[in-house]
Amino acid sequence: MTNGRVLDVAHVEAGYDLLQVLWDVSLHVDEGEFVALLGPNGAGKTTTLRTIAGFLQPLDGDISFRGTPIGGRPAHTVSRMGLGYVSESLNLFPAMTVRENLQVGANSVRNKAQVASTMELVFQLFPRLLERRDQLAGTLSGGERKMLAIGRGLMASPSLLLVDEPSLGLAPMATVATFDALKALRERGVTILLVEQNVNTTLHLVDRAYVLEQGRIVLEGTGEDLLSNPHVQAAYLGI
Amino acid sequence: MLVRHRRRIALLGVLVVALVLPYIPPFTGEDYRRWLVGAAFMAAQAVAFDFTAGYINIVNFGFAAFVGLGAYTSGILAVDFGISPWIGMVAGGTVSGFVGLLTGALTLRLRGIYAAVMAWFVGLALMGLIRNVPDITRGSLGLAVPSLLESSENLPYYYVIMAMLIVTFAVLAWVIRSRYGLAFRAIGQNLAAARASGINPTRYLVINFVLSCAFAGWIGGFYAHYYGILTPDVMLTSHTVEVLAIAYIGGRGSLWGAAVIAFPLSIGVEFLKVQFSTLPGVHLVLYGLLLIVVMIYKPGGFAAVVRGLESWLIRSRPGDTATEAPPAS
Amino acid sequence: MTSAATNLRSVPLARRFLNFTWLTLGLAAAILVFEAFAQPSIVVTTLVTGGMWALMAAGLAMVFGVMNIPNFAHGELFLLGSFTAFTVYSPIREALLNDPSLTWLKILGPFPGMVVALVVGAIAGVLLEAVLFRPLRRRSREQWVMNTFLLTAGVSVVVINSYRLTIGNDFHGVPAYWDVPPISLFGVPISVDRAMVLVIALVTITLFALFLQRTGLGRAIRAVSQDETGAQMAGIDLNRIFILTMGISCALAALAGASLLFLFPAYPDVGLQPLYTAWFVVILAGLGNIPGAVIGAFIVALLQNLTIFYIQVGWVDVLPTVFIILILLFKPSGLFGSAVKGVWEQ
Repeated sequence: MTNGRVLDVAHVEAGYDLLQVLWDVSLHVDEGEFVALLGPNGAGKTTTLRTIAGFLQPLDGDISFRGTPIGGRPAHTVSRMGLGYVSESLNLFPAMTVRENLQVGANSVRNKAQVASTMELVFQLFPRLLERRDQLAGTLSGGERKMLAIGRGLMASPSLLLVDEPSLGLAPMATVATFDALKALRERGVTILLVEQNVNTTLHLVDRAYVLEQGRIVLEGTGEDLLSNPHVQAAYLGI
Repeated sequence: MLVRHRRRIALLGVLVVALVLPYIPPFTGEDYRRWLVGAAFMAAQAVAFDFTAGYINIVNFGFAAFVGLGAYTSGILAVDFGISPWIGMVAGGTVSGFVGLLTGALTLRLRGIYAAVMAWFVGLALMGLIRNVPDITRGSLGLAVPSLLESSENLPYYYVIMAMLIVTFAVLAWVIRSRYGLAFRAIGQNLAAARASGINPTRYLVINFVLSCAFAGWIGGFYAHYYGILTPDVMLTSHTVEVLAIAYIGGRGSLWGAAVIAFPLSIGVEFLKVQFSTLPGVHLVLYGLLLIVVMIYKPGGFAAVVRGLESWLIRSRPGDTATEAPPAS
Repeated sequence: MTSAATNLRSVPLARRFLNFTWLTLGLAAAILVFEAFAQPSIVVTTLVTGGMWALMAAGLAMVFGVMNIPNFAHGELFLLGSFTAFTVYSPIREALLNDPSLTWLKILGPFPGMVVALVVGAIAGVLLEAVLFRPLRRRSREQWVMNTFLLTAGVSVVVINSYRLTIGNDFHGVPAYWDVPPISLFGVPISVDRAMVLVIALVTITLFALFLQRTGLGRAIRAVSQDETGAQMAGIDLNRIFILTMGISCALAALAGASLLFLFPAYPDVGLQPLYTAWFVVILAGLGNIPGAVIGAFIVALLQNLTIFYIQVGWVDVLPTVFIILILLFKPSGLFGSAVKGVWEQ
């Protein structure tokens, strides 16, 4: 399945200024897979995504995306190569309408018909966004903002979508809706690397998962494997 | 410990050189001594400017107007009320400080760039005001002001302005060393963090701003009674930029960097003016270019260069490093 | 669309309009209506000067909103524009004086200067970004706003004094672009030059607004001003947007300088008044707010013209300053400040 490998992160070390956060992190995501990166607060999950998305230079190691090395390339280039990133803080454009936010997401797509059909798809996935398409992003509710961020991430039809903690700060109902949307995306064949703290729900949803602790990958396995793993049960599931 | 000590000795050395400079040729000539007065005047202004720009990180873009306000206050008091220039200069400082208080209280709670631009507007308004009340200020015709000293020689003026430079430097450096200085730095580096740690930023910002404006006014008083003629042009923004350039080339947040670099810079500029007397504004081109280079490539300015030399000297003499370590007990 | 409208509608009418911003706008409108009957020339001058201040202020606001640069050298682009227009127009004027029968040249003559000024301004803006701001950005983004303010102050004195050294202190202007009898607007005689200035300003502002609202590049510029990280996530190359933003902003300032050549001849300090007026406008409207800057430009122009007419030219710097301080007391972020946020605003 090596030709189906979308993302390959090999022995990456990264961090901020004097503080190294990631130590020898290796992971991979294959075509059509739904993979999760789990771990406690401060383990380096967000740093991993930021490094992959090009917002942070890796200190060491290689990152390749569909066979092309992308480690250290600027974020906008990585995005244009087809790697979508939905950050924890969403980074929406608050003074633009929902539709405009989506249009900016399709910034790198020349084909207007394609933009229109992708937007159609996003509105199918998130009917709420269709209702609010002319409302300013800054006036949306928390759940709607997550949907818009994911929708914007989809607009360039990425071959891989990185999603950082979609359940963060959401009411339980909205969390369920967001996970449903991710499930629907997966059924449509979108490859996803998801960062979550909500371990139980996530493990029931994904194909595979990695557990990151103190900047190192400590466990890897299918969702079912990890659900029955004693360390995961003790540390994350409270069993 | 020793570094600070050594720097103080070096600074004293520079001061001694500055004080005997008028007796060293070519500075024995009247023209050159006039340059020295101008240099010390620029140095004093740059120190007062750096006190605000370098510590609380607010650029007082109306600085020249505060200098001019002090100059006009002192000048008008002397002309219309016969008040001694010495008292007038202090009054000039007081008035500038008071207008600084009003400006600061209104603008310093806004973001830094607002405060800078508002200070600029206030400066423009002050200049407009001076122009528009010719009955009192004689407007653009110029106000003839009595001199500070009996003598028409430059030498005594040089020692007066040097004394004022030393007082300005000493007072402001003393404030910086006090608990106020710590608060200034904290606010200048990170306003939000300073606020979170219980500092009331506006109060400290205003105190700093008022002090700087007051010294600007006092130094402006000297200008009035040295040159003897005052026009609203003293308040021009380009004068602020000149002072600002010297302060930043000297090194923001050091006070001494600005004071020291003012001498070679402003004497060098006078020299240029003599060489190219037909070309007005050549000195401003030079200041502007130096400012741009410093801002991009050496943000710490002259002071950072000196500090770099210092640590290089210490490193290259390994026997010396032991004395740098704090005492064990 | 529906929800946005209902949301607005749920706010009581009185509370929606009884705030400081609307009161100020209402007052300005009332004065304009009053003067339209009492002193129509004030209205006409306000429209003409307001249009040009809008060109200046919109560019200034955009550069602050997108790049967080408070451009103190913005007036020097005005100078560049006016001198460029003078250089290009002079031989055309010469030809017209020699042969006054060239009607087509009489009508079209001033435009080449304006177009060339537009291009020269854009090039200057691109150079500023490439030679100054990009190296600084690469080194450090700490204290960015204050540092770029000082940097542009340096640029301003260098440009003004280099101009003085090379070209001199003389005035380089033209008495009129279109040397024809004045036309009548609201019963007020208005020179064709002034009318054209208003037309140029309105056309340019409309095109500029359409560019920002309707095109992909315009959306990208707005996206960068609202969230830089988000824009990068969408594949937008910040460096390209910065170059484009500086180019457009400087081109607009140069165009203002070129169109006003008959009022402001080129000389070293000519950019000062447009600069601080543009800054008045931008502070009044709220930093980085482009539509606000366009409206604010007309308010400031009204204020200036009222001062000139009812008091004295000399007070034109004093009274607006007092007015702006008053406004900032009530609304520290400017009249429309809350609508659009700068990139690094915290």
